[in-house]
Amino acid sequence: MFVKVNNLGALKRAIRNVSRRKMRTFLVIIALGFSMAIMISIPSGIMANQEAAQNLTERFSSTISNTQEEINKTTTLIECRTSSGRVTPSGIPSGMPPFGSEQEEVFVNETVANEIRSIEGVKDVVPFIETSSEETTSETINTPRGSFTISRPLYTITGVSLNSSFIDNYSILPTNITAGRNLQAGDSGVVLMTSNLTDYLGAGVGDEVEIYGRAFTVVGVYGSTDQGIMQTRTVYMNITDAQTITGNAGNVSRLDVYAESASDVDGIADVIKAAYSDLYVTTYTDRLANLERMQEMYTETLNNAESTLSQTQTVATQEILIAVAATSLIVLFVMLYTVRERTKEIGILKAIGFSNWNVMSQFMFEGILMSLMAGVVGIVIGIVGAPFLSSLLLPQVSLFSTQQQGFPRQAVNFGTALSQSVTATPDSQTLLLAFGVAVLLGAIGSLYPAWRASRTSPMEALRYE
Amino acid sequence: MSELVLKTEKLDKVYKLGGRKVRALSDLNLQIKKGDFISIMGPSGSGKSTLLNMLGCLDKPTYGKVILDGVDVTTVPEKRLFKIRKYKVGFVFQTFNLMPYLNAIENVELPMEGTKKSGDEKRKRAHELLKMVGLSEREGHRPHRLSAGEQQRVAIARALANNPTIVLADEPTGNLDSKTGYEIVSLLGKLNIDQGTTIIMVTHDSRMASRAGRMLFLSDGRLLAKEKQGTHLLKKELTCPYCGKEIQPDDMFCPRCGKEL
Repeated sequence: MFVKVNNLGALKRAIRNVSRRKMRTFLVIIALGFSMAIMISIPSGIMANQEAAQNLTERFSSTISNTQEEINKTTTLIECRTSSGRVTPSGIPSGMPPFGSEQEEVFVNETVANEIRSIEGVKDVVPFIETSSEETTSETINTPRGSFTISRPLYTITGVSLNSSFIDNYSILPTNITAGRNLQAGDSGVVLMTSNLTDYLGAGVGDEVEIYGRAFTVVGVYGSTDQGIMQTRTVYMNITDAQTITGNAGNVSRLDVYAESASDVDGIADVIKAAYSDLYVTTYTDRLANLERMQEMYTETLNNAESTLSQTQTVATQEILIAVAATSLIVLFVMLYTVRERTKEIGILKAIGFSNWNVMSQFMFEGILMSLMAGVVGIVIGIVGAPFLSSLLLPQVSLFSTQQQGFPRQAVNFGTALSQSVTATPDSQTLLLAFGVAVLLGAIGSLYPAWRASRTSPMEALRYE
Repeated sequence: MSELVLKTEKLDKVYKLGGRKVRALSDLNLQIKKGDFISIMGPSGSGKSTLLNMLGCLDKPTYGKVILDGVDVTTVPEKRLFKIRKYKVGFVFQTFNLMPYLNAIENVELPMEGTKKSGDEKRKRAHELLKMVGLSEREGHRPHRLSAGEQQRVAIARALANNPTIVLADEPTGNLDSKTGYEIVSLLGKLNIDQGTTIIMVTHDSRMASRAGRMLFLSDGRLLAKEKQGTHLLKKELTCPYCGKEIQPDDMFCPRCGKEL
């Protein structure tokens, strides 16, 4: 009861004293508030980074397992591409030109398909033509390391042999149709487009689009599986249409060769490699090896991310420690100054019968009160500025170096996704914790000054001017 | 005979000043009875403030005893001394020493913090005290809005808050003009008569000192043998010390001879 009454008086006086020196209190609270904001922002930044790394791992492993599945389904497939062939989920062609560089399109005559079909053990040869659109786009991608402007074809045209036996037996067309229908045997003058292209063109199922000067009707839309920031836009059409409009009659750029059995694959691949030096040949084994390389790369990427993350955590720990130290020191020095400035007041209080504890609690209350107010300010700054502060204070988990090394774009895109997803938002638990820490630091910072105040000799203090 | 409330025995205080020993008080024996109004006079450096600090438990003697209300306060450990300062002693300072951020009534309530009194009781007591010193109308004013004399009245009310055994006034008129100074000393005298408050006032102003009941003289840390009677004793008997006419306790001038009381 005694203590309660006592402390209420001390609290009241603490409030008066803190509000008496408005400018000082304001500056101290702003300084403390920033320290608090750092304490709030950094853990949420770390959490955002961890979450992003977690997502990255999940996406990598799902990509790997999907690819694995696809490769396993095609043990008898021998892919033959000219250098203009593009990356497909099933593998990475060796000697692929680095991402973003100029590509010269190379084609082979479709009679090659017949020649290959006559090789012993070959069951089927499915010809494709893959070529670029006339239109190009200049795209800017924003990354934490700056902006890159890349010029590329607006979309890719894939011409497919719309033969019912091919369509039924092999996976030559996209499967995830989101609107309209897929291409069918005998289709001509119609196209299937990725949704990002229909969005770009503002076209829909049933609309007409002009490709190389010829009108095509959009019969279907499919969702792109590409998750990167620079998604491929693709148009599927009859191979004859594609050859005609691009002036490539009789030319193909990709041949999917199917062997009678898996044991024939290596022999067939050797024959093709020997006969056609301008075809890049990949078999099940090559694709598996490529997958392994991809896996290694992903592992490396993940390791990079993890080491950056642990580096980030070290930096974060240091920064939090600095913020904690700064907060305590600010409180300490301000309270020491306050105690010095109010020495006479301490003398008076002691002369009229205040105990050491009364004097000490008065100054403790003042320190804690300032920290409490700073806590509120810190929370406000923290909530508003957490994304900014955490990106300012924490190293970005970014994997952009992979791009310059010509790594598959998917890996690059995961990296981008990771660095972009660091948008820290403090949760209520962090806020509450920060508030508690604020009070604690206020108490710690004012402990020594308050203790010194309480030990002041009343006679000395009364003489102080 | 009145009861003894304060007594010093062979009080000695030696300070070290830059390696040199300075004897501020020397073999000082003093006896104060309940209801006394005593002024201690002496030139600066004579040890007046040192003596007052010893009596008010703000400082400890090098040697000797200070017996306040039967307790030798020199043996009380520092951490319990605050209780004696709170309940037994009331201080009035030359520079008033009010808390600038508290208003008059809050300043008077301050020493009652930590006592058994409830908030209402404290407020009531502070109110009574301010009324007693004539400042009922100024309760809500902070020190900077009060005149010097009013501030000293608040300080006196604060000194009386816990009904102390003794009030120690260190040059209470030192920062006041002579008219206000007289008013303050008269107020102390009135409190002494009306409430029976025991007061020790240190001053170097002989005119102020002479208004107390007894005047003691301090020189080089020793009490001089000469002791004078002040006008207060006569005033206490409610007769004019000059013409013998009957007077009222708060009369400032004799109604018959017109002399200043």
